[in-house]
Amino acid sequence: MDPARPLGPAEIEALAQLVVSTVLLGGIYALIAVGLTLIFGVMRVVNFAHGEFLMLGMYLAFWAFTLGGLDPYLVLPVSLALFFALGLVTYALVMRGVIAASHNVQIFTTVGLSVALQNVALVAWTGDFRYIRPWHSAVVLRLGTTAFNLSQVVAFALAVVLTLALFAFLRWTHTGRVMRATAQDRDAATLMGIDTDRVYRLTWAIGIAAVGAAGVLVAPLYSVYPTAGLQFVLLAYVVVVLGGLGDMVGALLGSLIVAGVEVVGSYVVGTAWKEVLYFLLFIAVLVFRPAGLFGQRGAETLGA
Amino acid sequence: MAGLRRRGALLLFGLAALAPLVVRDAYFLDSLILILMWGALSAAWNVASGYAGQVSLGHAAFFGIGAYAAALVSARWGQSPWLGLLLGVALSIAAGAVIGYLSNRLRGPYFALSTIAFSQVLLIVASRWRTLTAGSEGIPVPFRPGFWTLGLSHVAWVYVALALALLYYGVEVYLERSRLGYRLAGVREDEDAAEALGIPTRRLKVLAVTLSAALTAVGGSLWAQYVGFVDPFYVFSIDLSIRFALNTIIGGTGTALGPFLGSILITSLETYLRATFSGVRTGFTGIYLIIYGAVLILVVRFLPEGLVGLARRARATPARAQA
Repeated sequence: MDPARPLGPAEIEALAQLVVSTVLLGGIYALIAVGLTLIFGVMRVVNFAHGEFLMLGMYLAFWAFTLGGLDPYLVLPVSLALFFALGLVTYALVMRGVIAASHNVQIFTTVGLSVALQNVALVAWTGDFRYIRPWHSAVVLRLGTTAFNLSQVVAFALAVVLTLALFAFLRWTHTGRVMRATAQDRDAATLMGIDTDRVYRLTWAIGIAAVGAAGVLVAPLYSVYPTAGLQFVLLAYVVVVLGGLGDMVGALLGSLIVAGVEVVGSYVVGTAWKEVLYFLLFIAVLVFRPAGLFGQRGAETLGA
Repeated sequence: MAGLRRRGALLLFGLAALAPLVVRDAYFLDSLILILMWGALSAAWNVASGYAGQVSLGHAAFFGIGAYAAALVSARWGQSPWLGLLLGVALSIAAGAVIGYLSNRLRGPYFALSTIAFSQVLLIVASRWRTLTAGSEGIPVPFRPGFWTLGLSHVAWVYVALALALLYYGVEVYLERSRLGYRLAGVREDEDAAEALGIPTRRLKVLAVTLSAALTAVGGSLWAQYVGFVDPFYVFSIDLSIRFALNTIIGGTGTALGPFLGSILITSLETYLRATFSGVRTGFTGIYLIIYGAVLILVVRFLPEGLVGLARRARATPARAQA
């Protein structure tokens, strides 16, 4: 094709579809990734159990819908409170003791948490794939020849609202400022009289609440099973490494990039191979710009 | 202390060697073979992660390379699985060198993340490249009797697995005593200090990861021939990578005997629960994994040297009381 030739209507339409799909997907990925990157930024811990909290969120939506007929969007506010509480509990029981430990101890603490939570779900609810189909997942919106269902659009909108709320919280509240200060310099924050234990507890709980809510939002879109968190958390790792671990704005950009690679990849090479693309992108970024596309060079060699 | 551990190892491997002469129960022999194989594979993980401190969560990649190489060479191309094993080792050395190179740029959680990504790429390739690997259906390995074709009896498999375990235990002991081992420990404990002392840290890290990868591939090849089926979603799974780590950490990271102790505990409880509860309810065997998840959390925090460390503490306490 001659690159100088102006795009025809069909190409513009295809492009518009790709852009809309990318943004819809990217918004949801962002909510999953911001919790991960917030926890890393403040606590310097990669949460390998992040996907399991997402999975628990999906099950919460599933059971609320199946047993109580509750719409996932009604469950959302409850899920924020529940997962915040779950975050406080897991922090006190599991994370608090390893905040000052080595990376390897932290890695295997969260891996252990991941194994335990996954299998709690397996034992309690079996390995069956479960689905919920609330009324809005049957409402189809059309853009050209591509169809989106209403659940996808609402999930995107709510994810964006929650993500923005988190940003506003970090930017404008006192607690948010304290969290950012701790992320920047743990020792200086302690010297300024900041109670870092309280900051870590809050950070962990907020990160878990964000990903739990994300689980509730994606429950109508994907099947629910004990290892459902894995596919999302792998994506989230790619997102946060692209954006620079600990970089909140980077996580948003990373979400859009990963969603773009996924959408364009499915369009160009087919859905079967799209995941290879973003893992290759991931490895390429780790090799060439390990601190992330927008991050400071050198952060990764500190292991920080 | 090391003397006690060596005696413990002698007892363990000696019992494994004698057991098939007395017990001919297929279920028992199967458990024994798996304990030895998973122990050896965990020892292979220990080489990179325990001795050199390059913590990998993607060792299933090398296991899968070995498993697929042996299965393809024997089932698809009708050659000896031993040739497949060599192919798997060659491919794993190449892959290990690439991953090892990454470990030079990335520390801590970054390296662990990159190993996960690598094993996931191989999982996707193996499950989608249908013309080569038969995709997600997996590859059945036909049973052809004979040593060259690795169609062996249970008793013979015990000795193959035991040879593998002894070899890997030997590698670990070498890493504890040799100059190479001390240098690796230097890299693990304080890389910058080791570098300042003139230790070629980058080369050593690549070496450790590559060696670990090759040993893992050999285990993967033998496992595929023993079990007789290669499923991409199993051999490349993160669960498998975690299993190698779990055995080693519970037994004792960076100790020669640790991976085998961990394997005895985890493998035997798993096979027991599987046999007891498999018919009762799907997913019930997950109970042992809940326990191990919790144990893992407790062990890394309170008992960083695992069961081996526990034995050391038990012996050290009365001595201290006397002093």
